[in-house]
Amino acid sequence: MIREPNALDVLYLIAAARWTLALTALAFVGGGLSGLLVMLMRVVPARPINWLAIGWIQAIQGTPLLAQLFVFFFGFAIFGYRVSPWVAAGAAFSLYASAFLAEIWRGCVEAVPRTQWEASAALGLGFGQQLRYVIVPQAFRIAIPPTVGFLVQLVKNTSLASVIGFVELTREGQITTGATFRPFTVYGIVAILYFCICFPLSQLSRRLERKLNVAH
Amino acid sequence: MSLIKLEQVTKRFGALTVLDQVSLSVEPGDIVAVIGRSGSGKSTMLRCINGLEPIQAGRIVVGDTVVNDPATDLRKLRQQVGIVFQSYNLFPHLSVARNIMLAPTVVKKMPPVEARRLAEEVLARVGLGEKIDAYPDQLSGGQQQRVAIARSLAMHPKLMLFDEITSALDPELIGEVLKVLESLARQGMTMMLVTHEMGFARNVASRVVFMHQGKVWEEGPGRETLGRPRTPELESFLGSVLH
Ligand SMILES: Nc1ncnc2c1ncn2[C@@H]1O[C@H](COP(=O)(O)OP(=O)(O)O)[C@@H](O)[C@H]1O
Ligand SMILES: [Mg+2]
Repeated sequence: MIREPNALDVLYLIAAARWTLALTALAFVGGGLSGLLVMLMRVVPARPINWLAIGWIQAIQGTPLLAQLFVFFFGFAIFGYRVSPWVAAGAAFSLYASAFLAEIWRGCVEAVPRTQWEASAALGLGFGQQLRYVIVPQAFRIAIPPTVGFLVQLVKNTSLASVIGFVELTREGQITTGATFRPFTVYGIVAILYFCICFPLSQLSRRLERKLNVAH
Repeated sequence: MSLIKLEQVTKRFGALTVLDQVSLSVEPGDIVAVIGRSGSGKSTMLRCINGLEPIQAGRIVVGDTVVNDPATDLRKLRQQVGIVFQSYNLFPHLSVARNIMLAPTVVKKMPPVEARRLAEEVLARVGLGEKIDAYPDQLSGGQQQRVAIARSLAMHPKLMLFDEITSALDPELIGEVLKVLESLARQGMTMMLVTHEMGFARNVASRVVFMHQGKVWEEGPGRETLGRPRTPELESFLGSVLH
């Protein structure tokens, strides 16, 4: 039965956008924390640990996100565990984000001049102290634009979670299109909703950057 | 007992030998000016002394610490050996006070209030008391370099290394930094400084070391060594810097 899209459909889409936001937030927090760890493993002066981190980053960056989602969703099933789309998507996106954020942040750490490492070493600071008090605060400023850039990508990429039955904005769009057969209108609204999420993020990034540049 | 002792120190970067069996000792209170052409290994020698660069052969002893012993805690050593670089290397995200307070609070666990007093004290010694709450990018090059010296002094080092600390400065700013060095010299600080300021080497240094091709080519009392070079290499070097 085909019907016209109505206000209720729009409300459902907005409601689904919450799950897009929730999945993004989960992936960003989970991926941020583990990405910080991977980044540290990447820069610590110990070769075997560096290799471990590099291996991880390459494995994640070298495989499609879609494949990672399937591995999590169906992989567990093979071993007799049923995982909900939430768990599978949350885990897959967190690991995906961890590799990309680690690599972005490593770049930011390496963008801090070597002389800052030397000057702090010369004052007797150890590796952890150098990172914490000298390197990371400087890398943080450099990191804001690329991190937000990645976050915006992440928002859009969560649409892939629809393939394992996770109902977020894009999946809800598909459902609504199925009922109304008005793909142009429905996906137009979907696109606007994505924009309403992503645009403020970029603006926030700009403002944060400006603030940090002025206030040291 | 010597404060610094280098015995047959050899340092290579890959196939390039940068320090070639360098032997040298510095006594407490000595002010050693290290001169030589660019690339002769002056900076590398200073960096080896506080363990920023590993060496391939020989021995470096600072006080009673063998720097090149793998068991040596370099962080302990560096609390006793200050180094100031040509490019100041202040921490741009921290105020002058916090630049100075960082190592005392983090490394020596000094309470912040005490560290702040210490910052005031060392800033006064370099004549920058009023800049305590400024940020590095609000200071001139000369002022930044004086803060870098103060930051190093705050760790109460037994010995200070200075690597061409006036070379990046506009000529009119060099004097204020040299004045700080002179006052440190009067207070009896043991110093080793790489410099192109021949006037300073002649008048303030107790000894001059001329490096050439990774070797200590010539050394002796400042005035004498600069006044009557014994090797043609030093003579030609002096000719090139004085004219
Ligand atoms: N990290 C490094 N890697 C490779 N070569 C280096 C490094 N640091 C210095 N060198 C080389 O070592 C030589 C001596 O350098 P340096 O000690 O800086 O000389 P100086 O301070 O007398 O100008 C130069 O040839 C320089 O290119
Ligand atoms: Mg040099």
